[in-house]
Amino acid sequence: MDHLLQLFLIFIKVNLLSTSGPASVGLLYHEVVGSYVTEAQFVQAVGLSSVLPGSDALQLAMYIGYAVGGIPGGLVALAGSILPPTLIILGVTMVLHRLRREAWLSSFVEGLAPAISVLMLFTAWKIFEKGGSTGWEGWTIGIVSLAAMFLNAPARIVVVVAGILGVYFLS
Amino acid sequence: MNHTKFAVWLQLLQMFLKVNILSPSGPASVGFLYEESVGKIMTEEQFVEAVGFSNVLPGSEALKLAMFVGYAAGGIPGVMSALLGAILPPTVLMLLVSAVLQQFQHENWLAGFVAGMSPAVAALIVFVSWELFRVSSRQKIDRRVIFIALLSAFAFWAEIPSPFVLLGAGILGVILFGRRSY
Repeated sequence: MDHLLQLFLIFIKVNLLSTSGPASVGLLYHEVVGSYVTEAQFVQAVGLSSVLPGSDALQLAMYIGYAVGGIPGGLVALAGSILPPTLIILGVTMVLHRLRREAWLSSFVEGLAPAISVLMLFTAWKIFEKGGSTGWEGWTIGIVSLAAMFLNAPARIVVVVAGILGVYFLS
Repeated sequence: MNHTKFAVWLQLLQMFLKVNILSPSGPASVGFLYEESVGKIMTEEQFVEAVGFSNVLPGSEALKLAMFVGYAAGGIPGVMSALLGAILPPTVLMLLVSAVLQQFQHENWLAGFVAGMSPAVAALIVFVSWELFRVSSRQKIDRRVIFIALLSAFAFWAEIPSPFVLLGAGILGVILFGRRSY
């Protein structure tokens, strides 16, 4: 019961401090890897949530919740992710016209964005490093995947192909 | 129960179920949602405003967008049906897949799959980070954006806990970008 509450608080925190679904990956990594899930589980979670249809951030949250505490864990993580935006939206729709003049809020988010980008770079490096495949195979998969995504290849296909290559070359 | 209102809620629920089953990720659902809702249940102007707000407020943007669209079409109950439609497909899918995957946790091929996926997932994160940076600095790269990026890079490197760094960056944003009017 105690760790469910902690899980809930982590997701509330992550969702208050990130501007969008994909941006929550970096912060979530720092909050849960090592203490709740292993590196491998986190990579599975990110990979899966970009492969399955629907919101990535919610799926990532549920996978981690499920790994920590089964179905109740998944539901708690979901609730923690949904609550902050829901309350904010309900609040905003009621004071919509007042908030429009509050430029400080958009300045806050504007300042948040570059910091989140940098955090994600750090996270990406850690995932790569601890993924274990830092030999030429790993670098090749990483660089080719990055190039493919800049060329607009769908991320879910890139991730699945990389996994299949892993089964053949890295297991 | 008012019959037309009920029909609107049902329509919202169906629409969001469809959008969330067919779109691979949050941001990808924006284009799809546009086609489904603009002209039918809300105006173009309302939609643009909803996208703007969901980028500015914290939390998952796809959910916020869904709730704004729901609100425009059917008030608070509209928000709830949009939320339900947006949450249901990923929840059911993910719980199912997680349950199945836990069974294979010790299989050898899964370890290989994860090992192969790691560099690609790292690449995906770099890519999203670049997209985020590009969108946030709009047309040209602002010196203040670079300043915040460098400062936070230093803070992460010095192992200052990330929530503090993010809060600090937000506060710095308020100071540097100020009360600019839009």
